[in-house]
Amino acid sequence: MNSSTKATAACALMILLSIGVLSFRNTLREEQDRDWVTHTRIVIEKLQAVLVDVTQAENSQRGYMLTGEDQYLEPYRAGIDQAHRDMEEVRKLTLDNPGQQGAINGLKPAVDAKLALLAAGLEIRRTTGLMAGAEGVAGAGSQELMNQVQDRIGEMRSTEERLLSIRLERAAVSARRMEAIIVFGNSLAVLILLGAGFVIHREACKRNLAEQDLKQVNEHLEERTAELSDTNSELESFSYSVAHDLRAPLRQIAGYSNVLLQDHGPRLDAEARRYLEKVEEGARKMGQLVDDLLSLSKVGRQELSLQDTPLDLLLRQVVEDLAPECSGREVDWQIGSLFSAECDPGLMKQVFVNLLSNAVKYTGKRERAVIQVGQMMRNDLRTIFVRDNGVGFEMQYVGKLFGVFQRLHKARDFEGTGVGLAIVQRIIRKHGGRIWAEAELGHGATFFFTLGSPGNNTITKPELSIRNEEIHVAGS
Amino acid sequence: MSQEVEILLVDDSPEDVELTVLALRRNKLSNDIHIAEDGAEALDFLFCRGPYKDRSFSHPPKLVLLDLKLPKVDGLEVLKAVRSDERTKAIPIVILTSSKEQRDLIDGYNLGVSAYIQKPVDFDQFAETIKQVGMLWLLINQPPPPGAFVASKARGA
Repeated sequence: MNSSTKATAACALMILLSIGVLSFRNTLREEQDRDWVTHTRIVIEKLQAVLVDVTQAENSQRGYMLTGEDQYLEPYRAGIDQAHRDMEEVRKLTLDNPGQQGAINGLKPAVDAKLALLAAGLEIRRTTGLMAGAEGVAGAGSQELMNQVQDRIGEMRSTEERLLSIRLERAAVSARRMEAIIVFGNSLAVLILLGAGFVIHREACKRNLAEQDLKQVNEHLEERTAELSDTNSELESFSYSVAHDLRAPLRQIAGYSNVLLQDHGPRLDAEARRYLEKVEEGARKMGQLVDDLLSLSKVGRQELSLQDTPLDLLLRQVVEDLAPECSGREVDWQIGSLFSAECDPGLMKQVFVNLLSNAVKYTGKRERAVIQVGQMMRNDLRTIFVRDNGVGFEMQYVGKLFGVFQRLHKARDFEGTGVGLAIVQRIIRKHGGRIWAEAELGHGATFFFTLGSPGNNTITKPELSIRNEEIHVAGS
Repeated sequence: MSQEVEILLVDDSPEDVELTVLALRRNKLSNDIHIAEDGAEALDFLFCRGPYKDRSFSHPPKLVLLDLKLPKVDGLEVLKAVRSDERTKAIPIVILTSSKEQRDLIDGYNLGVSAYIQKPVDFDQFAETIKQVGMLWLLINQPPPPGAFVASKARGA
C-alpha cells in the first residue's frame, strides 16, 4: 500500500468517524427534545388534573349537601388530597420555569380558598343539617373562587402549550436533521465503501500480476539452475572420460617409442633417436597434463570429507615427501607451528604438496633456498602463508596465477602444466576460504590462504571450464 | 596346452597386451603368459571349460593381470565369479587398468582384488611397475599348495 492510499484510507476513516459522532450527538439531542415535549404534556395533564380534582371535591361536597349521605365524603376527601398532590407535582415539574413557579404560587391560594370554602359548607351541613343555609353561604363565593382557579390553571396551561408548540417544533427540526445525517452519512459511507472496494480490487489485480511475474521468474530460474547443473555434470563426466581415454593412446605412443629406442636404438642414427626421445617426452608431458586435469576435475566432483586435522603433522609429512626433489640442493625449511583445522585432510595435503613443490621448484636456481611456512592473523582470520626466496613473478600478472593452464614462466626455465595452483584454489574455495599471492620478480613469492568455515562454504559446485576461468585477482 | 601358465593377462587391446608383454620380457618374466581378450574367455580359462576343458583346477595361474573395461564380461564380473567359487577364490588377481576412479577402486577391493594398479603413461615407469608386480607374485609370494582348493565343492559357475 503506498502513502497516498494510506492517506485516503485515513481520510475515509475520519469522515466515517465524524458521521458517527455527529449522529450520536444528534440522537442524544433529539431524545432530549422529545423528553421536553413529553414533560410539557405531563405538566399540562397535571394542571388539568388539578382542575378535575377540585371539581370532583366540589361535586362530592354538593352531593353531601343535598343528601347528607356519607358516601359523598370519600370522593370529596380523595379530590382534596389529589388536588394537593397534583399541585405539588406541577410545582416540582415546573421548577425549571420561574414564571410557572410564580403562577403556581398564585394558583395554590386560590385552590386552598376554594377548598376551605367547600369544607366550611360541609361543616355547617354536617353540624346543623341546614342545607339551604349552607348552600347559601357556599354558593355565591364558591363559584367566584372556582372561576379564579380555572383562570389560573388556564393561564398556566396556555403557557405550557406555547412551550409545547416550541418544543414540538424543536423536536421536529432534530428529527429532520437526524434524517438528513442518516441519509447523507450512509450515502457517504456507501461511496467510501465503493471507493475502497475499487482500490482493493485494483491493488489485488496489481498484486496478482506481480505474483504471476514472480512465479514466472522463479520458474525460469529453476529451469536455468537445472540446466546449469546438467551442463556442469556433463562437463565433468566429459572431462573425466576425455582424460581417461586419452591415457590409453598416450601409453601406446610413449610405450612404442620407448621400446623402439631401447630395442632398436643401435640401428637408428642419432637424429632419429633424438626425434624418438622427443616423441616419448611429449607423450610423457601430455600424460602429466591429463593426470593434472583429472585431479582438477576430481577436486570439483569430490565431496569434502571434513575432520579435525592437525595441519602441523600434515605439513611435516609433505616436507618429508619432498626430500627427493630437494636432494643435492640446500633448502632451508623454516616451519612455524600451525593450527588444527576442520578440513578434508587428503585435499589439504594436496594444497601443501602443490604450494611447497612450487616453492621448491621456483627456488631451484638459488644457491640456498629458504622456504617459510607459518600462520598469522589477517583481517581477523587465521591465515597460512608459504613464502620462498625464488624467482617470484610480476604482480601485474597475479590475476592469471590461479587460472588453468596459466603459466608465468617459460617451460624452458621451469617445467609445469599450469594446473597445480588452479587445483589449490579450487580446494581452498571448496573449504570456504580464500587464496591470494604477493610477489616481486626476482625476490620470491608468498602465498596466503584462509580456510573459512566449511559450513559457510558457498562454492560447492565445481566451476569447470578449461581456459580463462578462475581469473582471480588477489585481494579481490 | 601347457599346464604351467604363470600369468593370465586379460586385456582386449592388442597394443596394451604387446606393451605389457614387452615390459614383462624386459624383466625376464614372460615365460608362461596366456592372453585372454575378453572376460568370457578369461572365465573359460580359469574354470577349465570350453576350449580349456583339458586344464586342471590344480594348476591355476600364479597371477591374473586383469583390465576392467572388457568386452562381453567386464573385469569386475570376472573378479566376482572367481572370488565366489571355492576352487578359484585363492588365485591372486591384480587389476591393471587406466582407471583410478574411486568407484572402481572400492568395487575392486569389495570383491577381494589382490592389488589395484593404474598403468603409468611413461613406459619406463610401466616396466618398473610390472617388474615389481611380477617379482612379488611370481617369486616372493608363496602360492597355495597345488590342489589345496580343488576338492572343495563348487558353489557358483
